[in-house]
Amino acid sequence: MGLLALGTPLEWPEAKKVASQVRAWGIEQLLSIWENAKGKERDALLWGDEIEYLVVCYDENNRKVRLSLRQADILAALASDEKLLAEGGGVPDVQRGPVKETDMTAPVFHPEFGRFMLEATPGKPWGIGFKDLLSVEPDMKWRRTIAKDHMAKEEYPITLTTFPHLGLPDCIVPSYLVSGPKLRSQFVPDEIANPHIRFPTLAANIRWRRGRKVELNVPVFKDEKTVWPFQDPTVNYDLHQWPEDDDVRNGAAKENHIYMDAMAFGMGSCCLQITFQAKNIEEGRKMYDQLSPLGPILLALTAATPIYKGFLADTDVRWNQISRAVDDRTPEELGEKPLKHDRWRLPKSRYASNSTYISQDARLRPEYLDPDLIVDQDIKKRLAEGGMDDLLATHFAHLFIRDPIVVFAEDLETLDLSKADHFENLQSTNWQHMRFKPPPPGSDMGWRVEFRPMEIQITDFENAAFSIFIVLITRAILSYNLNFYIPIARVSENMETAHIRDAVSSQKFWFRKDPFSPHSSSRGGNGTGTSTPAETSRPATPVGPVEDEYEQMTINEVINGQHQGGESNFPGLIPLVESYLNSMNVDVETRCELARYLDLIRKRADGTYWTAAKWIRHFVQTHEMYKGDSVVGDDICFDLVKAAERITKEEGRDGFAGEMLGKRR
Amino acid sequence: MKLILSTSNIMSGGLSVIRRPTFEKSNTELTSSLHANFASHQSIIPPSTPANGASTPKPSYRSWTVQQDGALWIPTHTSSPLTEPRESYDITLKLFYLPNIPADRRCVQTREAIQLVLKELGASSIDLLIVSFPGMSFDADDDDSDLDDPPSAPDSEHDHDLHGTEGAPEDIDTIITTWRTLEKLHAEGLVSKLGIAEFGVSRLEKFLPQIDVKPSVNQINVRDCCVVPKPLILYAKQQNIELLTHNDCTNVLPRGTLREILGSGEKGVGILAGENDSSGDELRGDVEPQWVVKYTAVVKDRGVVESKGYFAVAELRD
Repeated sequence: MGLLALGTPLEWPEAKKVASQVRAWGIEQLLSIWENAKGKERDALLWGDEIEYLVVCYDENNRKVRLSLRQADILAALASDEKLLAEGGGVPDVQRGPVKETDMTAPVFHPEFGRFMLEATPGKPWGIGFKDLLSVEPDMKWRRTIAKDHMAKEEYPITLTTFPHLGLPDCIVPSYLVSGPKLRSQFVPDEIANPHIRFPTLAANIRWRRGRKVELNVPVFKDEKTVWPFQDPTVNYDLHQWPEDDDVRNGAAKENHIYMDAMAFGMGSCCLQITFQAKNIEEGRKMYDQLSPLGPILLALTAATPIYKGFLADTDVRWNQISRAVDDRTPEELGEKPLKHDRWRLPKSRYASNSTYISQDARLRPEYLDPDLIVDQDIKKRLAEGGMDDLLATHFAHLFIRDPIVVFAEDLETLDLSKADHFENLQSTNWQHMRFKPPPPGSDMGWRVEFRPMEIQITDFENAAFSIFIVLITRAILSYNLNFYIPIARVSENMETAHIRDAVSSQKFWFRKDPFSPHSSSRGGNGTGTSTPAETSRPATPVGPVEDEYEQMTINEVINGQHQGGESNFPGLIPLVESYLNSMNVDVETRCELARYLDLIRKRADGTYWTAAKWIRHFVQTHEMYKGDSVVGDDICFDLVKAAERITKEEGRDGFAGEMLGKRR
Repeated sequence: MKLILSTSNIMSGGLSVIRRPTFEKSNTELTSSLHANFASHQSIIPPSTPANGASTPKPSYRSWTVQQDGALWIPTHTSSPLTEPRESYDITLKLFYLPNIPADRRCVQTREAIQLVLKELGASSIDLLIVSFPGMSFDADDDDSDLDDPPSAPDSEHDHDLHGTEGAPEDIDTIITTWRTLEKLHAEGLVSKLGIAEFGVSRLEKFLPQIDVKPSVNQINVRDCCVVPKPLILYAKQQNIELLTHNDCTNVLPRGTLREILGSGEKGVGILAGENDSSGDELRGDVEPQWVVKYTAVVKDRGVVESKGYFAVAELRD
């Protein structure tokens, strides 16, 4: 969750006054970083994955499962575990051991927004050595074992994206009253959030800036006996504690939707995020652009979120709910009122799909960009004066249209160009599906790219499979100089499509037909050698209309390839990865392990195996206590979480959840 | 006359090879990347007459090939040296000795192949040289099975190629003789590690005691690499030989395929004259593939394949 600086946070009216100063200082810090690091070269591929857990607490006697709010206790236990520290692990925010040069370094743990969440990352980054790839899954399992060892007997770290009963009465332990001053939620107490001052301030100031509570309406799944039209029966229209309690009386809760009203409903979701270090800034920009169109595909393929607040939803993924949970746009920015005080209409939340491309690549046609992209022209001008090229300046001037939400008074005294706090303030509260990360000042880290759309999977086998698949895709992209460009607006459209129930089997996504660049024999190398942007330009080849470059494909076609028709068939991401692996010296054992991972993804895409979303739906709908009315009751929730734990442990080897995982050895 | 065919760097082009991915072992990567490279060189030559719907004749091969030191380069070749310092890379060569070519030519052929690649990549040594002997293929189903049978199963490495008539499996003495050449290259520092392909346990048991420099690598072709026989895994581990996977076929360039590529037919590029051609400057004679080398240069700490390609050499005889 970014930087955890301490200090006195400003309330929104005060923070708003200094927003321009924070932006201006952030831009100066960015320019300073960029000036220092733009020439960084030949950084190795290092990468890391992040696993997020929900900590659940079973009440066996009452067949009830709740979220445990003991995050702080668990982290304290982890940070004081001598053995873990000796092995290099721990909690970086508090205390951790030394990173091992040769041995395995124990994993590290981090707090997250939700007080019922825990994040775990490898103790040191992974490389591209194939042995490293094989260490990922055991490391993920090690992390979960360590996490569990520091929890109470009745607690377990589960990797469901969302807790099925979050927001229902008696869903957390210990219990707190709802309708607190920060969140003002009628469903969850303020104590649901990490008590670190940054988090409640973030939630409170988003609400404050917005002028009302955040509003999440998820379409409810209409089953045979669902009362229709559906009015969310858990909404209380008679609260009068806060002005925001009027929201529901003003129509915030939409018909046929599940209504939620707090940041925790979004930021309390678990995801699987991968960060790569690029060779240099150019390679980083290229990876950012090329991975961007893959985002919606991987979101649909990892779909795991069919339940909200005790109801089956009609969508399969978490993305838009998080987007709405942190949507700080004012009515003017949303277009509900004429622009008077605010600077512009904003089509997207600060948590949304990518809005622009950034690579200085001859293959990036102007037609792919959004002509209506909102940018802060003054900031763009300043970046250009500082020597930044138009594309990158546009990207950052777009991110900087937002206000900083959490500002600490102490940080406004002097501008420290050796830090990145003001820059990160905006950078890390722009949650797009990719993030382009400059090197932190004073570190020898390189330019990095984060891939953020994937949903967390129930087993570490699956989480390792998707992480490694993305790593291998990046290697294939760089080796074959693949081109996945489509207009950015189509990527955003795909992101919406990915939400549709069972999109993986039922929907088509815009995707580029030909990922190869035209053959050019006069070209030496494939541009992996130097950072000269000019080298990626080549004699202009005649190009047809942009619309002819892409078409609608099923996820199966994108992943496994198009098998009918002629030469112009899309080869498929898995065959591209296989082809890459065939060009590498890979030992048989590694190839066998990688084959297990690729097989999972291949079969998820072709429908042989189910997504977690489909499996969970099926579990609910065939549960003996399910009444066909979209309601996921206490018994079902308990059994579902228990089932998820069993799947995590057995990974289908006991024959359970084979629909999702196949026959495991 | 010697014919030197090259693909250039196949990573950078729009490769038809991955368009039709195949998990069977195949030589389509070689043949289709040769086609692609030839085509791109032909298309550089502007058509002499404006296109008016009529099919334009293929440009004369003289315009896109070059004759040099008694060899015809198809197409005209300019090398593309690696861009980063040598130590950033792992350079692997796989040399395919072809069927029915006398083994006593291999000493010269091996050096020739290495020199071509070194020049192409602008390097002075290679990290791994894997040699593939003709007529050998590995079949996990037939070899010492992964059941608990004693490893006394009959030696069943035999050629499953469709072109089985093009030579019987190489005998162990010829393999040893060839290996002596490779050991010299190793001693000279031209090659850091040596490797073999498609050796099962029984062949390894015959081979290893007779050589000085042990292979570091044994490359095997298995459609499902999870069925590699356990005895082979154990034996390789014991001998410190790394088992690597590949998907090449042993007879990577059969004579007929080469004739088709170079010929005057629909799929050919018009270098070899057709049977009924009487005019033109197309070449005549028998074309005999000698060897094929595949090279890859991988940026080690980034796992990026920067360069990959093939050279194939053939003799044209009257």
